[in-house]
Amino acid sequence: MKRKIFIVGIFAVLVMCLVFLSGCAEKKSVVKEGAAEDQTVSSQTAAKDTAKEDAERLAREKAEREARERAERERMESEKRAAASRADNVKDIYFDFDKSNIRPDAREVLKANAEIFLSGNNKIVIEGHCDERGTAEYNMALGERRAQETKKYLTNLGVSAATMKTISYGEEHPIASGHDEAAWAKNRRASFVVNPQK
Amino acid sequence: MKKNSLWPGIILFLAVSSLFNISFAAEKIYIDIDFPTFQLFPIAISDFDLKNPATAKSSDTGIMFTDEVRKYLAMSGFFNILNKKSYLEDKAAEVAGGNIIFANWAAIGADYLLKGNLEQTGDAISADTWLYDVIRGETLLGKRYQGKISEQTEVTKRIVSDILLALTGDEGEFNTKIAFVAKKGPKGDIYVINYDGDGLQKVTGHNSIMVAPRWSPDGRFLSFTSFRDGRPEVYLRDLQKGTEKKIASFSGLNLSGAWSPDGKSLLLTLSKEGNEEIYAMELESFKLKRLTSNFGIDVSPSWSPDGRRIAFVSNRGGSPQIYIMDADGGNVKRITYEGNYNTSPSWSPRGGRIAYEGSSNGRFQIFTIDEEGNNLLQLTFSSTDNESPVWSPSGRQIAFSSRINSGGRISIMNANGLNMRVLYENNDKVVMPVWSKRFK
Repeated sequence: MKRKIFIVGIFAVLVMCLVFLSGCAEKKSVVKEGAAEDQTVSSQTAAKDTAKEDAERLAREKAEREARERAERERMESEKRAAASRADNVKDIYFDFDKSNIRPDAREVLKANAEIFLSGNNKIVIEGHCDERGTAEYNMALGERRAQETKKYLTNLGVSAATMKTISYGEEHPIASGHDEAAWAKNRRASFVVNPQK
Repeated sequence: MKKNSLWPGIILFLAVSSLFNISFAAEKIYIDIDFPTFQLFPIAISDFDLKNPATAKSSDTGIMFTDEVRKYLAMSGFFNILNKKSYLEDKAAEVAGGNIIFANWAAIGADYLLKGNLEQTGDAISADTWLYDVIRGETLLGKRYQGKISEQTEVTKRIVSDILLALTGDEGEFNTKIAFVAKKGPKGDIYVINYDGDGLQKVTGHNSIMVAPRWSPDGRFLSFTSFRDGRPEVYLRDLQKGTEKKIASFSGLNLSGAWSPDGKSLLLTLSKEGNEEIYAMELESFKLKRLTSNFGIDVSPSWSPDGRRIAFVSNRGGSPQIYIMDADGGNVKRITYEGNYNTSPSWSPRGGRIAYEGSSNGRFQIFTIDEEGNNLLQLTFSSTDNESPVWSPSGRQIAFSSRINSGGRISIMNANGLNMRVLYENNDKVVMPVWSKRFK
């Protein structure tokens, strides 16, 4: 008895579903037909008015959204710029030929660099470079020596050794391409990468 | 009285040394080809006679074969091959392996004469070859060389190796290879080329800064430093399997240095303790032993052939100079004093001398010096920078790289600086040549 009622119930539900679905299908087709009529029958001015209102509303919303996004972008970019400008103020230091000692002019630069490094939670890579003269293999060691001496000097200025790494590029990454003392003097350097990506 | 007592000793000395002279004379005498005044061996090479011109592919086969012998003999660096137009040869009266009219060859200034017969059957060749000492009228070599036509170059190399062995006591370098770094801008890879300039092959695919390639004594491995992963680390490449592994990746600098003669350890320059020092790494266990301990730079170690000592570069004296120490790091001694920039030492496999590059009049040139720091010899004088000298396995030749305007060049010269030839030249920079062992 109970089972019979249950089966009838399921059947009823199925029928209702069918009706509902076909109803939907009908509605859809009605809307479609209506839309078709709108396009062909209704007056063009009426259509223009509604379209105009919609467009204005959309444009307004879009402008507001874009303004909000722009403000957010600008805020983030100015923060980035501030960080970058601090990093931009970090300057290279230069060395004499075949030497790795920190020159007097480099000491002032390192003091200013140290202040920037200490101004935040920064990680620093110190790159040691050489000019093109001399032996590539020896220059690998000389570049490392320059980076190490620089690191030592910065440590004495209070920059934590744990935040600094050294790498030598030897004579492989010249910044000036000439083959004279002016170019060589620029290439014998230690440069700094603040908060490297990797 | 004192003066008189010296005489018996002097007489004894003279007697003994004359005895030695006699015993030396009884042995084979090789001309000291490394001596600075060595004159190239003047040799005449008669075109090999084709024994069966009817079946040979071309009537020129004998001449072409002989030209290849001439080419390789010239390449060895020790022969002046006399122009065949000057030969007073009487082909009808002379028989290779038989009657030789030595006066005809002495007349044109030949000290040595090579003659032979070539036979070609199917895809096989057979070359009966005789080498004569024209001055003494003696046969030095008489031998048949066989091979396939496709291996003709190998046959000619075997003949030339035997001529070298007969005259110099060493077979030469024909079965060796030279590895070097070729780079566009800072990035490059390691290439290998045969001694005769053939068979250029790229062996790494790093496309990064590459320095300090070093060949294992058995020729199977190349160690080198690469920046492939962003910083200088030492890799080991198995040339047989084509596999690679990273063997030194300490903080700071990791530079490859020389292999010990037994191939069991590799010298490295590391800065992991804050300063550039030389370490020996046991390749079985990767255990490190620090050998130098100095505030300056210590770099570019090269082992002596007996494995007991190490030559290296240090700037502890204020400028980079060549030093020697015992293999355990003791007994450090400076050997170069001339010039203010001497680097890249390479110890001759025969012992005795160390080649290096040094600054001279604003240019880098190749020098050799003995282990005591005496008998300095400048080998190159060109207006280019000449760098990275390495010895051939026989210790009789030196390869080096030159910076030229259009790119780079690897050259080979005799140990006395003479008879230079270009091994490889390119618009790219080609640097840091290293010489393999003999592969056969």
